[in-house]
Amino acid sequence: MEYLKTGLKTVLGAPEPGHQPSGTETVERLVDRVNNSTLLEDRRDACRALKAMSRKYRIEVGAQGMETLKQVLELDRADNETINYALDTLNNIMSPSQFEEEEDNPQVPMNIGEQFTEIFIKNPHNIQLVLDLLDEYDFRVRLSAVQLLISLLTNRSKDIQEIILVKPMGVSKMMDLLGDNREVIRNEALLLLIKLTKGNANIQKIVAFENAFDRLFEIVSTEGYSDGGIIVEDCLLLMLNLLKNNSSNINFFKEGSYIQRMLPMFNTSEENEDLGWSPQKVSNVHCMLQIVRTMVSPSNSAQIISSCQKIMKNVGLLDALCNILMASGVPADILTETINTVGEIVRGDTTNQEFLGNIMAPSNPPRPAIVVLLMSMVNEKQPFSLRCAVLYCFECYLYHNEMSQAALVQTLLPSSSDVSSLTSGQLLCGGLFSSDMLSNWFSTVALMHALIDNSVQKEQLLRVLLATNIGSSPVSLLHQCTLLLQQSTKLQSKVALLMLLSQWMSYCPAAVSAFLKVPGGVGYLVNQTCSNEHDENEYLLQGLSAFLLAICIHFNDDSVENYSKESLKQLLIKRIGMETYTAKVTEVSKHELYNRAAKHPQMKVRNVSEVLIDYEFCRLFKVLEIQLPRDKAMNEMSGVCWEPHISFHTLVFQMGGVLIQSLTTNQENDACNEVAERASPEEGATLERYKNLIRQQDARLQELVAQVDALIQQNQSLQGALNDILSANSQLKDENTLLKAQVSASTIVPAPPPTVLEDPRIMQYEERIQQLNEETSRLSEQLKSTQDHYSKSMEEFEKLKKDQDDLLELFADQDVKLSEYKMRLISLGQTIDEDVQAKEPLTEK
Amino acid sequence: MAYAYLFKYIIIGDTGVGKSCLLLQFTDKRFQPVHDLTIGVEFGARMITIDGKQIKLQIWDTAGQEAFRSITRSYYRGAAGALLVYDITRRDTFNHLTTWLEDARQHSNSNMVIMLIGNKSDLESRREVKKEEGEAFAREHGLVFMETSAKTAANVEEAFINTAKEIYEKIQEGVFDINNEANGIKIGPQHSTGGGAGGAGGAGAGGAAGGGCC
Repeated sequence: MEYLKTGLKTVLGAPEPGHQPSGTETVERLVDRVNNSTLLEDRRDACRALKAMSRKYRIEVGAQGMETLKQVLELDRADNETINYALDTLNNIMSPSQFEEEEDNPQVPMNIGEQFTEIFIKNPHNIQLVLDLLDEYDFRVRLSAVQLLISLLTNRSKDIQEIILVKPMGVSKMMDLLGDNREVIRNEALLLLIKLTKGNANIQKIVAFENAFDRLFEIVSTEGYSDGGIIVEDCLLLMLNLLKNNSSNINFFKEGSYIQRMLPMFNTSEENEDLGWSPQKVSNVHCMLQIVRTMVSPSNSAQIISSCQKIMKNVGLLDALCNILMASGVPADILTETINTVGEIVRGDTTNQEFLGNIMAPSNPPRPAIVVLLMSMVNEKQPFSLRCAVLYCFECYLYHNEMSQAALVQTLLPSSSDVSSLTSGQLLCGGLFSSDMLSNWFSTVALMHALIDNSVQKEQLLRVLLATNIGSSPVSLLHQCTLLLQQSTKLQSKVALLMLLSQWMSYCPAAVSAFLKVPGGVGYLVNQTCSNEHDENEYLLQGLSAFLLAICIHFNDDSVENYSKESLKQLLIKRIGMETYTAKVTEVSKHELYNRAAKHPQMKVRNVSEVLIDYEFCRLFKVLEIQLPRDKAMNEMSGVCWEPHISFHTLVFQMGGVLIQSLTTNQENDACNEVAERASPEEGATLERYKNLIRQQDARLQELVAQVDALIQQNQSLQGALNDILSANSQLKDENTLLKAQVSASTIVPAPPPTVLEDPRIMQYEERIQQLNEETSRLSEQLKSTQDHYSKSMEEFEKLKKDQDDLLELFADQDVKLSEYKMRLISLGQTIDEDVQAKEPLTEK
Repeated sequence: MAYAYLFKYIIIGDTGVGKSCLLLQFTDKRFQPVHDLTIGVEFGARMITIDGKQIKLQIWDTAGQEAFRSITRSYYRGAAGALLVYDITRRDTFNHLTTWLEDARQHSNSNMVIMLIGNKSDLESRREVKKEEGEAFAREHGLVFMETSAKTAANVEEAFINTAKEIYEKIQEGVFDINNEANGIKIGPQHSTGGGAGGAGGAGAGGAAGGGCC
């Protein structure tokens, strides 16, 4: 404050005694001084004072001084100090944060900086002014300009990004700052670029084009990679911005061999293990892991993912990450993120999956890394996020890999003799029946992932037997799961089991029949579906049960006597009813957690209670949800009622299905059964295969015919609709012309009023004009006739003149002759004077 | 992969002349008949061999639409080579060449090698611009000229490689300052100074930058 006071004193002179000028007045005088002073020193001092005032009197300085300060930037470029004050003042005015000085001032709105920013960028030229100042080498000016741009970007990033993007060399100028050898400026430039590149793909590409990755890796390496300070983190954050959702840049990163250059980041040397990880190192490595994941994220295109995965394996990045997994002393959150990263690097890439499967942990006895990971997953004491990560990693390990899926199931089968070593299958089974709810869920879902799109393993898993109690006969895994489903009281376990059974039984008639044979299984599902409890989670359970029931019907091969396809359908219609069924199934996709799970292969959960639905299950559900109701609809023959509210499409579908079903299914079945009875047992199997084939073909045929029918009907209805629309259209056209006619008729009526008012005058004028016109034409006619007249007279006059000339000539001749005669007469001696004299005056006339 | 040099290219020209198709043909050896509008700028890369040296081409394919012009201008400065493309079946794309050239000359470094390309040479029946006209334009403005077809791949390789040769020669002549990355040229991590003129300092810098590569 003292500084401020002395500053003011020097600028404003000593205050008048007894009168303390208010802030507003002072600001006003200062702005005035900047505007009007001719001396640079005065302007500079005033700017300095404004800067000092701008924290406490932000509104006043901003409102009155912004224009002036912009002018200073333009006109006083020669004086770095003044420019620096002006920039700092602008930065204070538009600062996104609240100053201490204004904390107790309620009149300053929270977003005051943003409001001033909005005013400032109304004229994009202002941004250009600041950008131009980046060229200034002076430390203070450059730094202030960078800081001002940071503030502006913080307040209105989208707008400013767009402005800078169209400024020639705008982005390039900022990139050049990274090369500034003054570290303060380079570091601020990093922050600026982080803000600049956030969410704008075009800017990201330009920054990458300007060799950003090279520069950043240079900085990272000179700062000591992961052991470096916050600057390393800033560099990595910028890289992350450049790569996130930007396939062009990812491609560039990959092609530019930058993946290799990340490697030193993950080098875990022995000496560091004892020192532990500093918080900064944790942040740095975390960022680096994020960068790796951006490249192999399942949301990228398959091509990018697979080529990045291969490179990561080839350059040893996967290896390095696996070393972190097995190293000791790694902080839990880094471990978690590393597990996720490793998962995504191996996901869907057979070589990498195999590599992960072969890694041995340095434990005693040595165990496969996968087993060690799964041990953490089913261990209650491990952190929740770590357990989620292991599940994700394991899912990635199984993803699209029949080998690893088979290997897992293999460990459960009786043939695997080695009992002493712990296997993944055993761990999962243990988790399945553990008292820990999360272990149940994780293990069930993990097991489920071994069955995805793998009909062989679905059947193999049916062979798994469990010895529950000593003495009692072993039961199958499926049997045990079904029992568990009925006994369990925990929502998560139930949902997990329903998901597992759905995955297992879909496209696998053998599993369906195994399930139908379990006592109470079907009854449980029916009861669940019919249950009438009102709760989001109850709805989910009911929906999942209905869904599983539908799977039992759809994939039923009629091998269980009491629960043939037909009888189950009847059960569903009679006990549950089609509408209830549809309503219940729809409930599943309405569940909040379903929608969240369906978005991304990795679960995005914040706490334990959100663990409920799995991504792959959502995919299965989406596919079957469309398929299953068709099946059901066929059965609705009796239930079809021609209510108007039933959509046309459904009706066609139902009818088509019903007709074909009645035609084909019965006949075919009868015929086949007859043949089957006659056939020998060996032929029976072949026959059965053909029967299946025929059934499948029939179903397909049925479907297609129904589709054709539906399409024809649809076409007809569309044609009808089109005709309707056409006629409606012409009707509307008619109406339109009618209205137009009316409008034009009505416009004539309302038009007169204004004319009526001025009528007399206008009429007068018009009359007058008429008169004048007439007058003019009359006059012009007159003029014309006069002209004619005149020209005629002129002609006449000319003629007369000529005549006169002729006459005069004649007279002259006569005169000559006369005088000749006179002379002759005189010579003859006659006196003729009188005559001549008398004659002369005559000629004169 | 190790390379001796890395060149940055840009591809410019009116919208729909086949810039992206040229790149796709060059990098992936395939043709995509459907015109998919480029938004902003897309990246592609390939390795070629010149004079027994591996050269990495990094190519930025720009959007031809006027709306993106200000964005694409940012790429001129850092490029060593530019392919300026027109469509031989559309006279207007040829007429706009002057504008493109002015733009490029104004924003790029003066040594940038520009290759003029008349694309779609497979559509002879619809030709509107004679080959001679393209040649004349190129001669007048000091460009290298070539007619290509991204569809049949005719001359596509040559277009990219000849441009690279031109740049390579300029490096040998010492025209390019290879230590300045803003020229769109980088020296590879394992490059020895034997071949290049004045590449001593550059090799050091390149070596440092590439440290840690396999």
